[in-house]
Amino acid sequence: MREYLLRRLLLLIPTLLGVTFIVFLMMHFIPGDPVTNMMGETYSAEDAQKLRHELGLDQPMVVQYGKWLVLLLRGDWGRSILSNRPVLADILYRLPVSLELLILSMVVSLIIAFPAGIIAAVWPNSWKDYSAMLVAMAGVSIPEFFLGVLLFLIFALTLRWFPVAGHINLLDNPGENLRHMLLPTIALGLPRAALLTRLVRASLLEVLRLEYVTTARAKGLSDWVVILRHALKNALIPTVTVIGLQVGFLIGAAIVVETLFAMPGIGSFGVDAIIKRDYPQVQAFVLVGALVFVLANLSVDLLYSVIDPRIQYGKEGT
Amino acid sequence: MSEAVILDQGVKVVQPAAVGQSLQAMAWRQLWRKRTALVGIGIIVVLVLTAILADVLAPYEPTATGSGVPMSLPNWQHPLGTDMLGRDMLSRVIYGSRVALFVGVLSLILPICAGIPLGVISGFYGGFLDNVIMRLMDIMLAFPIFLLAIVVMVILEPSTTNVVIALGIVRIPIYARIVRGSVLSIKALTYIEAAKALAVRDPRLLWEHILPNCMAPIIVTSTLSVGTSIIAEASLSFLGLGTQPPTPSWGWDLKAGLMILEINPWICLFPGLAIFLTVLAFNLFGDGLRDALDPRLKM
Repeated sequence: MREYLLRRLLLLIPTLLGVTFIVFLMMHFIPGDPVTNMMGETYSAEDAQKLRHELGLDQPMVVQYGKWLVLLLRGDWGRSILSNRPVLADILYRLPVSLELLILSMVVSLIIAFPAGIIAAVWPNSWKDYSAMLVAMAGVSIPEFFLGVLLFLIFALTLRWFPVAGHINLLDNPGENLRHMLLPTIALGLPRAALLTRLVRASLLEVLRLEYVTTARAKGLSDWVVILRHALKNALIPTVTVIGLQVGFLIGAAIVVETLFAMPGIGSFGVDAIIKRDYPQVQAFVLVGALVFVLANLSVDLLYSVIDPRIQYGKEGT
Repeated sequence: MSEAVILDQGVKVVQPAAVGQSLQAMAWRQLWRKRTALVGIGIIVVLVLTAILADVLAPYEPTATGSGVPMSLPNWQHPLGTDMLGRDMLSRVIYGSRVALFVGVLSLILPICAGIPLGVISGFYGGFLDNVIMRLMDIMLAFPIFLLAIVVMVILEPSTTNVVIALGIVRIPIYARIVRGSVLSIKALTYIEAAKALAVRDPRLLWEHILPNCMAPIIVTSTLSVGTSIIAEASLSFLGLGTQPPTPSWGWDLKAGLMILEINPWICLFPGLAIFLTVLAFNLFGDGLRDALDPRLKM
């Protein structure tokens, strides 16, 4: 197990190198130039060339990438071309905001999805099932930003229960932080909850038909013990897989939600950087984004062996 | 497919099909029975008609500024109100259906034309080619789809047509994977062995015997993809990376409405509802199709 974990962690290095290099190349081939973005309407070709030289943008791409990498390992992530602020500081400030949003919305979606999915599967084709599935269908069809706007309109603008925008640091004031986070979290979490509800229901229905469940019932175990202790465990496997895959979608959707609620997260930071061709900022964003994505998937893989002891890593053939 | 497989949640057994009834006819009958799918089809029909007849239905030019008092609430002249430039929202929502359907449907072309062949080649021939194609697809899948679409949009410059291309590109690996899986399982069946024994050539084998049997998951995925494409277009336009003004797009209108949300809260509601209903319709239809075409995929 430890060996497996080590191998997976080592494999992260080429993956991250590959992803950042591809993005590095892509950003440089994209039409558009940060220097002309910076200099505005009137500038001389000479000045532009000078600035390009100062920023090191006139060197071969491999050299630029190598330099970036060496500095990165030394903890110097460069400065944003446009704002001239150190990128690492910005990332460290913004990453916790996004991580908190991602984790909380995942928690929200699980808290809703499991009970709803279980109820729907235990009483299939009942009014409980139909209403859960109807809500879930609506949930998967609503775009995050529209849900966000609705929540915003009702709870922030009309009822004034929640602040309109902004962010408070979690450590400074946890209560206020949560008040600011709640609406974006729900906007991001509900569509995910809907999807997972359908999945939990489907996989649980599948498992409940199996013979070992009949055996457990025949043994005289109560319904809920059979469902929660025996059936749910097997139904968890496909659900966990989809949760892992959802992390990617979640990162994408978080960008929109962060923009909508004007949160100082990493998503809005990245999109802004991509649009303005701020290379150091884009690189940092891609690196951190890929890292979060890859680590999330690794945790999902490790979770498998916790849920299902038959799945073991580090042995022959796995 | 044996009739016994067609179980509805393990409770109701679907009537066995009449002798000689084709799988398609059976699927249609199944779909016809599902009320939610019919609701979906109904909404889609209305939507398509709206898009076709937009010129007749819309009371104003969707891009004509000052067709009413800016930011007015819903009233008799403007049933959905007007935006900050005084453009009629009803007309914009009606015309927005064109962009939504255009993106939703046309973004399927690239994955169908590139993803299916790649998946077929990968699954049928296997070996080195399979490895190369699938690793390439894995790399593409490793990027979160929406992020990849954002990057493609920046390379291509924001426009509706480019949204179609971007969403098409990011879907290629998904289609390739699905088709590869189906081809792999069909390839192992005895009827393929029989066809091979009869010296049927590869192209004919693929075209006549394998591909038709891969279609069920592709049709279902495509129907559901229309909905996700519409959401993605709206999200990209919301970020300013999709359809460019003044072309009416639900996503862009929603974003523009945010600025005057306090003055006219209705402004965001209608484009948002339009997106929601459209996506809901395709999801209901896709769900019904899945149940009808392939009960094993049932969720």
